[in-house]
Order: sequence, then C-alpha cells, then structure tokens
Amino acid sequence: MLLTIKKHSSYSIIEAPERVDTLLAIDFEMALLDAGTHEDSNMVIDCSKLVYLSSSGLRVFLLVQKKMLAKGVKLRLCHLRPSIQELFDISGFSTIFPIFADLKTAITEIVNSDDLLL
Amino acid sequence: MIRIRNLSKHYGDLVVLKDVNVDIRKGEVITVIGPSGTGKSTLLRCLNLLETPTGGNIFIDDIPLLDKGTNVPKIRQRMGMVFQSFNLYAHLTVLENLTIGPVKLLGRTKAEAEARAIELLKIVGLAEKVYSLPEELSGGQKQRVAIARCMAMEPEILLFDEPTSALDPTMVSEVLAVIRRLSKEGMTMVIVTHEMDFARNISSRVFYMDEGIIYEEGPPEQIFENPVREKTKAFIHRIRSLDIRISSPNYDLYAIQAEMLTFCDKHFLPHRVSDFTLLMAEEVLLLQKDFSDIHLKLSYSEKDGTLNFVCDSAGEAFNPLKDELAEDDIGLKLIFGRCQTVDYARENNRNILLLKIKNA
Repeated sequence: MLLTIKKHSSYSIIEAPERVDTLLAIDFEMALLDAGTHEDSNMVIDCSKLVYLSSSGLRVFLLVQKKMLAKGVKLRLCHLRPSIQELFDISGFSTIFPIFADLKTAITEIVNSDDLLL
Repeated sequence: MIRIRNLSKHYGDLVVLKDVNVDIRKGEVITVIGPSGTGKSTLLRCLNLLETPTGGNIFIDDIPLLDKGTNVPKIRQRMGMVFQSFNLYAHLTVLENLTIGPVKLLGRTKAEAEARAIELLKIVGLAEKVYSLPEELSGGQKQRVAIARCMAMEPEILLFDEPTSALDPTMVSEVLAVIRRLSKEGMTMVIVTHEMDFARNISSRVFYMDEGIIYEEGPPEQIFENPVREKTKAFIHRIRSLDIRISSPNYDLYAIQAEMLTFCDKHFLPHRVSDFTLLMAEEVLLLQKDFSDIHLKLSYSEKDGTLNFVCDSAGEAFNPLKDELAEDDIGLKLIFGRCQTVDYARENNRNILLLKIKNA
C-alpha cells in the first residue's frame, strides 16, 4: 500500500487511504510502521479521505499506537469524517486516541505539547 | 376503454411479446412491472403504434387500432406518452413546448393554448419556468414539463415509459408526485415503472410481465403481498431481499459488498446507512468459524423502513455474541453500536444471527 507521507523536522503527516478493511489492514499496518516507527518520528494521520474502516482497521490503529508509545513517539489522528468518528466513538477508541478536527490543530498540538497526552 | 387481444411483437426470431390479452377500463391506473427485457416498454409502444405489432389487435373504445381503415393519427391524439428521456424541443421555451402541439394539431388559437399551458404548468409546479429553455431545467423539471406537454394535447389516456429512470434519485419524488396528482383526477394511465413503492400506492391494478405475456395481474395488494404465480413470487422476493451464498473462507468481500450496495441504492437508503450495512457484513463474516455453507440475507421493508441482515450458517452450535475465545470485542462493539437489536438462535442445526440495522 502506497501512502502519501510528508516528512517534517519533528513529525510526519500520513494520509490514510479511503478504505481499511480486513483485506487491506495488514498492508496499512506495514505502511504505517514503515513510515512512522522506523524513524521514530511523531506522526499525524490525516483521515480526511478515509470513508470505510472496519474493526480490522481499528486494530491497526491500536497496534501502531502501542508500538509508537513504546518508542516514545506521538501519534495523532485528525479530520475524521462523521461516520468514521462514530466508529471511533462506538468502539471506545475516541478515548484512546487524541483526535483533532483538522490537520493544522493536530500539528500545532504535536509541536507544542509537553507530552502529557503520551 | 383499451382491449388488447393476442398482441404479439417479434423482431426477427426474437419474440418480445408473445400473446398479450388484457382490458384497461376508463379511469384505471395500471402499472406494469417485471424484469428488464420482458416487453414492458414494447407493450406501451405498441399501444400508440410507435412499434407496429406483429399480430393481434388493440381496440380503443371498440375501434380496432390495427385495421387499415382506422384513422390512426386521430386515435393517437387520444393518447399521450411520457418518455424516459423527456424529449422536449431544446430550442423552444417551456411555453412553446406546451403550445406548439395544441396550435398545430388541435387548431387552438395561440392565446387559448397559452392560457391552458400556464394552467398546466401550475399543476406541475413550474409556472415560474414559462420562458425557460429546457437546458435551464433540472431532470425532474424537464420531466414535469414533458408531462404538462402531454396534458396540453388533452389526451384521454396517458402512457408513461419509465418516467423516472433517467432521473437523479433526488428528483424522482417530484415527478412521482405529479403523476400521483393526475391519477387522483381520474386520468386513465398505464405506467411502466421500477418504482415498486410507487406502483403499490398508485395502481388500481398491477401487470406483472414476464415471458412476453402479462404473467400475473391483480390489485397491488395481491401482486406485492400475495402473488399467486411462481415467477411473480420470485420477482417480488428479489426486489425485497438480497441472498448471497458463501462456501469458502476465501469469499469475495468486495463482490458481496458491491451487491449489497446495489441493493441499498435500489431502495434509496441514505449513504450513511448503506456504508454501515456493508460494514456489518464484513464484521459478521469476521465472527464466523465455519464457512462451508453460509447464507447471507439482506432484506428491506418499504412499509416500516426496517433493514434486516441475517447470517445463516452451517456447523457446530456457535454463538459469536458470546465468544470467550475472541481476540477482542471491537467487531461486536461496532455491530451493537449500529444495530437496533442483534440476536442469535440455533435452528435446524444452523447458527442464525439476526441484525436489525439502524436505518438512520
């Protein structure tokens, strides 16, 4: 899976694909881990294009979050469509992940935060 | 008013209408339903001789339409036809589209024709579009003008050939509302349609066409609730529910979801509901252990708007709602979050999971 990644000095922005289902989850996981954890860079996942997410996709977010936390790297999500936000709410993931309304707010937070959310 | 006897239409070896026999009485609203390619539109086009029947006869008030001595143009004037693709004159204004026929063919004065046209445009809700050109109108507005143009010719019978098929779903209801209004005014109408809810509500009688004949006809309660004949039953069942069989763990999720999406679109379910319905299919399949014989059934009730999804699977008794060995409960949380109720039952040695999906 090819993800669009924009690297900055203290963080990377990764664009989530339109769909993360059971069949695509492994690829998504590999791509995220490649992009984020290898370089120990903070990560913002821009979910503006994500329209379909199943439990398999949610598990990927969880796993990547765990791995990044272990390395002391921050993961932030932003720009979730209402139907995707609803899935995060239903599954209880909204309380696990710092979610921001838009990319700008997520970046500001990741740059300025004092690691309280880690 | 209309008597059709032994009507047939062949195109070379292809028999589209085999032997159609039916009577339509004055003031009746007939809807013609059935699978594609079974001759519904051909029947309509034969009625006003846009197609020449191969055999049989059509009588309009006892006048045999196909006899050589019959004044066909005069009889045709008694019938108006609304097409799928509107067929308005693109270079004429809405008013001119409505007045050209009455002035040239019915001998009305321009003033008479214009007064009537404005009345009709009010009826179809387009009085403010009198001087617009067709290109300035939406699809729904064009079709309403097309209906008003038909009415301007003062027909006794209106024929509609899938009047909403070419329309964006958001515009279907405005056209159906106009047709419904005309039906209440006692106009005799024959409507070929795929809008089943509309057919059920508006019709005095429904013709179900299959195999080139009117396979079953009756009041809408009979056709939609208690069809008598096999093919009618199968057709009505198909439009109400979608059945998918799975026999391997390597099932094609995308094909299954594509079929479900088509079903949801056919019933004009909101995108949000169809998106979650596809998700329910994936989540339910992820909970299964035995893929040797799974029957998925998605059904929608137009009456109360409920959307049911059943996963009926073979194998040992297994309630996925209480699977203590499951890796986590994320999938179940999504299912419970998007369903009104979720129930498991063991019936006839099969595991039945019934989801009532939230339709909002």
